[in-house]
Amino acid sequence: MGHNYISHISPLAVLAMLAMTVLNTSCFGDEPDYCEADIETATLHVSDPAAFFFQPTDSLQTVFSTDSVITFAVRSDADVTSLSPVFTLSPGASIEPASGSTHDFSQGAVIYTVTSEDRKWQRHYRVSVVPTMITVADTLCYDFEHFELETATQRYYMWHNVLPDGSLGNDWATANAGFRISMGSAQPMDYPTTPLVDGYDGAGVCLTTRDTGPFGRMANKRLAAGNMFLGTFDIRIAMSDHLHATRFGIPFTSKPERFTGYYTFEPGATVQDFYGNPIASRTDSASVYAVFYRNHDAQGNEVVLYGDNVLSSDLLVAVANMGYVAPTTQWTPWDVKFEYREEIDEQLLASRGYSLAIVFSSSASGGDFIGAIGSRLCVDKVRLICSHEE
Amino acid sequence: MLMAMTTAIGINASVLDSVRFDARLGYALGGTMPTHVGKEIRGINSFIPGFNFTVAAEGTLPLAPHWAIHSGLRYELGSMDVDSRVKNYDIEVVRGDESLKGIFNGNVRIKTTQRRITLPIQAQYDFNRDLSLRGGFFMGWLTNRKFWGWAYDGYLREGTPVGPKIEMGTEPGDRGDFDFDKNMRHMQWGIDVGADWRFSRHWGAFVELTYGLSGLFKSDFHSVQTLRPIYGSIGVTYSINLKNMFKKKTN
Repeated sequence: MGHNYISHISPLAVLAMLAMTVLNTSCFGDEPDYCEADIETATLHVSDPAAFFFQPTDSLQTVFSTDSVITFAVRSDADVTSLSPVFTLSPGASIEPASGSTHDFSQGAVIYTVTSEDRKWQRHYRVSVVPTMITVADTLCYDFEHFELETATQRYYMWHNVLPDGSLGNDWATANAGFRISMGSAQPMDYPTTPLVDGYDGAGVCLTTRDTGPFGRMANKRLAAGNMFLGTFDIRIAMSDHLHATRFGIPFTSKPERFTGYYTFEPGATVQDFYGNPIASRTDSASVYAVFYRNHDAQGNEVVLYGDNVLSSDLLVAVANMGYVAPTTQWTPWDVKFEYREEIDEQLLASRGYSLAIVFSSSASGGDFIGAIGSRLCVDKVRLICSHEE
Repeated sequence: MLMAMTTAIGINASVLDSVRFDARLGYALGGTMPTHVGKEIRGINSFIPGFNFTVAAEGTLPLAPHWAIHSGLRYELGSMDVDSRVKNYDIEVVRGDESLKGIFNGNVRIKTTQRRITLPIQAQYDFNRDLSLRGGFFMGWLTNRKFWGWAYDGYLREGTPVGPKIEMGTEPGDRGDFDFDKNMRHMQWGIDVGADWRFSRHWGAFVELTYGLSGLFKSDFHSVQTLRPIYGSIGVTYSINLKNMFKKKTN
């Protein structure tokens, strides 16, 4: 097509076009300075990595654009008094204190400040290196009592789990940040994942399949299932590669046996397909499952499971899947056994070589944008009952 | 319109006799462009001018030695397809009640087509019988307007340069589509300069530059930087003079 155009343009027009091209290239101003101020990766080099890290891959961390806390979990006897983390930054940015400078991390986190090339933007990062005891718990409790509005935007809720020492962790993730891209005007309680003030026992969590509005329709991503999972949500690829934005799993050092909790589930009125057309014959279904998997592949690369392989990966070791989630408005208990596919390697378990993901979704096919707007799954008092090895 | 004008002046045989009518066919280069290429635009990946032509019926009414007034009606068809590479590009995409804004780094493809009916009113200075310069202003009305495109192969920092980084892919659904037809003005105005060279009794050539002052978009629209319709045209004219026609007939 372009060819045809060119061949029909008169010589004068070609001359004029050339002139314009020259004009264009000559009047582009000086390249503007970069305005971003991110740490993109953080690396810790130590003389004996095997004695310092649980896994060799723990020495390098990829930092999401939404993260401002960087934590290296290291062996409990690791010496953290003199360490020199090295950072890669977004182009043009500078960091203070310098990348590679030596600090004592036994006194707590070190605050780094990154400044953009144009000097107009700054970000602060808390970097800590935490000697971590491997705890073998009998039962892990997830009660959803600790939630708050996300700090930067105050638009949606996020949850914290209670760690063995009583402090709050960030093991729970949701796709609420992704919903905000399409529905910036939504109020916190209009998001897919919201707190339920009056749950089964104290607060619970409520997952609702939501309409993603005009942007969602434009992008053929017409709904957002409410979800909540142990893992991280990578907003960077929420639009370009959404199934890989949900990174399921956190390192887990106990052997899970049973997965229990309480739920209510009310399917939405009409299931719609990818194009938003109703599927009259279908009732929406929810997902409630937990998976336990080896978090490194055969080549030693770190692995997390995604929306497209969380139930099918070769690295799965055990699955506890509730399967059909029967609709009910009453709080209903579930108790599902982990079905093991292979023996647990105790040494691997103790070196954080396994990960666990709990996954809840208000529409099981939400990853393919199929489901019913309004489907609502509430959960509370979730327990992971683990075996006690001597 | 021209008739109305001449009526207003008063139908005077000698005045009307001296009106020179011409039919014009031109090819336009240009399109909608920023008034200055901001430093956020780092390069043009491709530029495909559409089939941009102008047909016009215009007339020139002499008022004094060397001076005349020039007007008429033009029908202009313009389209453009430009693909550029941007850095730190402020972008806001609005759809219904929702908007997504931030700083985009990557590539932006913009396609636009416009059909415009224009009324130019220009003062004309005749250097001699063959060569004249014109300058004035124009009013235009868009009968058809489209402006759409997508931000692709790059990433948006949502809100500010330190906001969440959201990658945009290449395919529909993965990239940031936009469609700003409804945000375009119907009415455009601006300045218009041209030159005519008559190389035979009836035939001539012209060059014309129309520079839109009104901007392409309504004033409450800030999704993309200010763009102006700017066209340079070249073309041929075929002229007739009423007096000559009259003479011919009487002869």
